[in-house]
Amino acid sequence: MIQVEGLSHRYGDKPSLLEVNFSLAAGEKAVLLGSNGCGKSTLLKILDGLIAAEAGAVFYEDQRITPGQLKHGPLRRRFRQEVALLFQNPDVMLFNPTVYDEIAFGPRQMGYSSIDERVAHWADLVGVTAFLKRPPFTLSGGEKQKVALAALLAVEPKLLLLDEPAAALDPRSSGWLVDFLAGLPITLLITTHNLGLAPELGSRTLVLGEDHRLLYDGPIEPFLADTDKLVAANLAHAHRHRHGGVEHRHWHVHDWQ
Amino acid sequence: MIERGKLAAYLAALLTASWLTAPSWLAAGLGAVLVLCGLEAGRLLRRALLATAAFSGTVSLAYAAYAWWQFHTLPLDWLLTANLRVLLMALLTFLFIARVNLFQALAFSRRLSFLLVLAVSQSLGLRRTLAEFRLGLQSRSPRPAGIKARYRAAAHAAAWLLDRALANAHESAQAMQSRGMFK
Amino acid sequence: MHIPDGFIAPQMYLPLYGLAAGLWAYGAKRVARDLDEATLPWLASLTAASFALSFIALPLPGGTSAHVTGVGLLAASFGIWNAFMAASMVFAIQALLFGDGGVTTLPLNALAMGFAGALAARGLFLAVRPFHAGLALFLAGWIGLFLPALLIALALGAQPLIAHDAAGAPLYFPFGWSVTLPALLIPHALLGLGEGALTVLGGRLIERLRLRYGND
Repeated sequence: MIQVEGLSHRYGDKPSLLEVNFSLAAGEKAVLLGSNGCGKSTLLKILDGLIAAEAGAVFYEDQRITPGQLKHGPLRRRFRQEVALLFQNPDVMLFNPTVYDEIAFGPRQMGYSSIDERVAHWADLVGVTAFLKRPPFTLSGGEKQKVALAALLAVEPKLLLLDEPAAALDPRSSGWLVDFLAGLPITLLITTHNLGLAPELGSRTLVLGEDHRLLYDGPIEPFLADTDKLVAANLAHAHRHRHGGVEHRHWHVHDWQ
Repeated sequence: MIERGKLAAYLAALLTASWLTAPSWLAAGLGAVLVLCGLEAGRLLRRALLATAAFSGTVSLAYAAYAWWQFHTLPLDWLLTANLRVLLMALLTFLFIARVNLFQALAFSRRLSFLLVLAVSQSLGLRRTLAEFRLGLQSRSPRPAGIKARYRAAAHAAAWLLDRALANAHESAQAMQSRGMFK
Repeated sequence: MHIPDGFIAPQMYLPLYGLAAGLWAYGAKRVARDLDEATLPWLASLTAASFALSFIALPLPGGTSAHVTGVGLLAASFGIWNAFMAASMVFAIQALLFGDGGVTTLPLNALAMGFAGALAARGLFLAVRPFHAGLALFLAGWIGLFLPALLIALALGAQPLIAHDAAGAPLYFPFGWSVTLPALLIPHALLGLGEGALTVLGGRLIERLRLRYGND
């Protein structure tokens, strides 16, 4: 479904991605791991055709994707309906007067019929039916994220890219999110720092190292069990601490936030 | 100390340049500043031209056209004087920006330098998120977004900015207080 | 509306600096009056926000876009003196850090946009708000763009009068009011419609977020 070849990018003179290659098949649920600043958000934006990569290419269903190609026309229509990106900061995604309008925005643009039913369905699925008449910016962070999710899913995309969706959620909400995403019959690529949550979100992981290259691409469980790889990716550290009355130090992980 | 002197020199030079009305003086001044630029002369001159070309060019063309139409002559004196002066002042400014650290130059006033540092650093973060508003709308629009949607997104961005201003202000104040800024 | 240095004569910008300096000194006191310790971070944050505002592009019918000044929005939401001080600093930052706009034109911009624009916007906003909140915001946005354009057109157009050589030829900006007034007023009257629309939408959002702060 998605094919990435030799992708490289930099901001000014700071590299952000270096020769990244991978492909994602339809129906896969993959987790993009990496420590802060290693290029995860940038990769998602390039995949969504919002930023033009300096080098390399992205293919969606064998069609080359660049911001220039997506300016207007049938490719834009198709791509923007089939691929959706949930930004890390939900504020930047929401701008309609009510939650109803927010969820209806995409379907209206696509010219779908029975908007009422669609909105009701997705609002109910994420649990924001009570807020339909309220303006999105009056909601809490978690609620905004649910509205954004509903708004994105209302056009029924095939691929959902999520940028740190669990970062600002409390435990109950992130539990809800894990179940919700697991139940969605679409392809997912999710970035997270949260190593505890990562295996719940997908079975395969792509790990970006601090050198901005893809460090690992494969099943997630073996990666999380491999301390050396975790340390190399700056996802594990060592410091003095105590277990049961004894002080020592060894490599370990936390649920990074 | 030295930076402050450079700021004063720059302002004095700017003031002087603005008084000059004879093309010969202006050309001499331009030459002198180009020498001061040293190896960067080409780059700085280009920046100065880019920054002023739109306005100067438009006004110059319009005035030349007007004078030709009215009096059948070209206002060469004015064209030379005005454009030399504008270029000289812009070049002075870009030379100043290239050579002088404004934050250090304002170090004589604790208030001013704090204001500047805080304002500039916060604006960088704000602008990054601002770009995201535009991208968020783009990402959600299978058809290019209509004017209504773009205004709404712009209004939300503006309101978000000002909301962030309050939040940032409270946080900065607390941080400064905890570091002993206020007596 | 970024006029480069060299078009405004010292006979105008020097006195304007004097006037502006007085207003800045007073403005600093006014802002500090209610804030004391928090003044610096508050002003810095408002300046950062105003500066960032100028990067928001407003789409115009016809495909082009204009940049938001936000004067009406700032004045309506935060009051005249906050708007004036923040706007003045934005002009200083633009000129001295980015070479965008001029140092000699700074007092003109600060007084026209930051002061007169904010004053008119705030006044109109307060006067119309009891009758119609939306219209009040729209007018604040519109006048916040239009009045400064008028003042700047007057300032530019006056250059041939205040600075000319013995023969009467202009030494700085060459056109008089018969040119500057229509050239600036017509486009800004139209641009003001866009700014007005933005001010309505943005102002409503801000009121909802309960951000009102003013000290006039």
